[in-house]
Amino acid sequence: MKYLPLVLAGLLRRPARTIFTFLSIVVAFILFGILSAIEGGLAHQLDAARVDRLIVDTKFGTQLPLAYLDQIARLDGVTVVAPRQILVGYYQDPKVPFGIIMTDRRFFGVRPELNASKDQIDTLLKTRTGALITVFTARRFGWKVGDKVPVISNTIRRDGGHTWTFDIVGIIDDMDRPGKARYFISNYDYMDQERVTEKGTIDRILVRIKDPKRATETSREIDALFANSAAPTRTISEKSDRQAGGISSIGDVGFFTRAVVSAVLFMLLFLTGNTMMQSVRERIPEFAVLKTLGFSDRSVLMLVLAEALILCALAAGTGLLIAKIGVPLIGDVSPDLGQLLLMPWSALATGLAFAFAVALVSALIPALKAQRISIIEALRP
Amino acid sequence: MRQLLAVTWMSLRTVPARWGSSLVVVIGMACAVGALVSILSMSAGFLRTMAATGSPSRAIVMSDGALGEWGSTIAHDEATILSDMPSVAHDDAHKPVVSADYFAYTAVSKKSDGQDMYVDLRGVSLQDPKLRPEIKLINGHWFRPGKYEIVVGKSAQDQFAGLKVGDHVALPSGDWLVTGTFQSNGSANESELFTDVSTLLSAMRTSTYNSMTVRLTSPAAFTQFKNAITSRPGPALEISRESDFYAEQSKSFDQFLKTIAYAVGGIMGLGATFGALNTMYSAIASRAREIATLRAIGFGGATVMVSVMSEALLFCLIGAGLGVLFAWALFNGYQHAMGGLVIRLAVTPMLAATGIGFALLLGAIGGIFPAARAARMPIVDALRAV
Repeated sequence: MKYLPLVLAGLLRRPARTIFTFLSIVVAFILFGILSAIEGGLAHQLDAARVDRLIVDTKFGTQLPLAYLDQIARLDGVTVVAPRQILVGYYQDPKVPFGIIMTDRRFFGVRPELNASKDQIDTLLKTRTGALITVFTARRFGWKVGDKVPVISNTIRRDGGHTWTFDIVGIIDDMDRPGKARYFISNYDYMDQERVTEKGTIDRILVRIKDPKRATETSREIDALFANSAAPTRTISEKSDRQAGGISSIGDVGFFTRAVVSAVLFMLLFLTGNTMMQSVRERIPEFAVLKTLGFSDRSVLMLVLAEALILCALAAGTGLLIAKIGVPLIGDVSPDLGQLLLMPWSALATGLAFAFAVALVSALIPALKAQRISIIEALRP
Repeated sequence: MRQLLAVTWMSLRTVPARWGSSLVVVIGMACAVGALVSILSMSAGFLRTMAATGSPSRAIVMSDGALGEWGSTIAHDEATILSDMPSVAHDDAHKPVVSADYFAYTAVSKKSDGQDMYVDLRGVSLQDPKLRPEIKLINGHWFRPGKYEIVVGKSAQDQFAGLKVGDHVALPSGDWLVTGTFQSNGSANESELFTDVSTLLSAMRTSTYNSMTVRLTSPAAFTQFKNAITSRPGPALEISRESDFYAEQSKSFDQFLKTIAYAVGGIMGLGATFGALNTMYSAIASRAREIATLRAIGFGGATVMVSVMSEALLFCLIGAGLGVLFAWALFNGYQHAMGGLVIRLAVTPMLAATGIGFALLLGAIGGIFPAARAARMPIVDALRAV
């Protein structure tokens, strides 16, 4: 600790150089923070996936008959079965399509993480055109309870129109992802009575089971029920469903972030290494003086390493904090992007560990150089 | 001008003495440009695939408000009316060159990591080979109507397991036999499976199509075709020139890819620029005496400034070149599955130019301040020590 002023003096010897290096590292770790937020967001979704939930989808693209619900409910170990039909539409802006979940009371039994009260659910079911939306959806479109919301959909209504009107009866939230989940839930009966085609069918069945250990077995039992029907099913766990979602759109997100992070760290290695090298080269006589004063070779080595460590740690810490504070703000500018991002606190620890590694590796050669300085050589005029 | 060249050449000759710090600029730029170009190669490959799919001489018809072929429905009798519209091309046997398509999908696993993906099975009419002549069978034979047979796009076959000729694919009404492989200029169709639409409709027990694609008598006939449909009685339909449709479909995802590319590349570039500033400041500091001498014997401030700038730009150029080369060697032509869509990443000359331009811009920012300082360096102070 008593050498701290000496270390700081070394860093501040050329303030411009230190500041530029500092800023480079800060910027690099802001990027690191954002990238870990992408991975963190995905990981969080996976963690939140309930192991006691199965998703029954169509195997080939056909709709599923409503009658499947009862058949699945009769299976051993199945506790709740809920229908789901997505109505795709947009509100005012055709470029922002979203899905409305058309279902019934059972949906809330399958998704206990939704904090809808019994009153809210009752009101929803009593109001034919009622809808419960999450905090996120409400904020995104500026809706409040009591609003009448017209949604333009590709699904034609009996009267030939495309406009589906909903009455917002309550605002709820997903306690697993508060403020980020985008639900818009309404009544299946409303849709099924109004639509012209595909009546009495749904696009997905949600199943909750008693014993998560029997998930694979139950999935097989469900698929076996309908294997020879006109609409075979494909049942997977909620976790594998979300896993596939994370990998699909641009490819493997994990691979992408790892590649960029390696490039950034590689760049930093050279940058800091160069700064330390320059600094040591300029200060050769100073190190010689220190040694004359009784500093051991070892303590000179430690001095240089400490400089690099402090520089990297401070800069990385600053960058990571900026990212930690900044990432939630991205959600205010672009809700679509924001809901995917979540920077875990552990990313700060990983980032700092990387910063230490960069500091040690990049400062090693300059530090060894400082250690080996011979007093006589260095002080010869 | 000769002055300029002389001074620049002189300053470059001192580079070997401080190659370590110059290397920082080169490597920094190489990383930033490498990241930028690599991610952009995804966008370029994606756009190339989508552009190869749409033709200006075809029109695609979907139901009104449909966001894509999947969400669209075309009734059976509607399809017949559409194929009789004016401006629809006819073959030698006077039959309209059209295809009413219906989609199903099936889960396949990716060869590389075993991850499950859905691939599209497109049911097409018998006229399809005339409608989409770019689709060429490279082995096996075309599916036969009434049999449970499919042909597989080359990209899908390369990426996913179980799609070889002779394999059976799980589809409704039992397993369907893969009878052939086709190529189509790397279009999105190459990620699909094709079969006879009537056979598929009856296997799926439905009679409604998803979309309808027609060959126009000429690209200019589109307006006439569109007007004829809009003025007919019946439900409103969405009519697009096929090339426009695919361009429109790719827009938002491409925007997303480009945003990521420039965000990541930009942040890394910013870091590299700070590195360049550092390097150039220390370069002029170590050459202070030399620069002062030049000024003292009559070289202008502007000349010195340009020489420092060109040094910075040169390093950035080398770095950018390395970055582009790296991205090209690693990713050009690399087959990549985005969900069910298989694309080939493309490092195009345009991307190389973008990467180099990007690096030069950053180099100019990183060079201008040190250059200005070099030009204003007080001559007397720098020479006093001599």
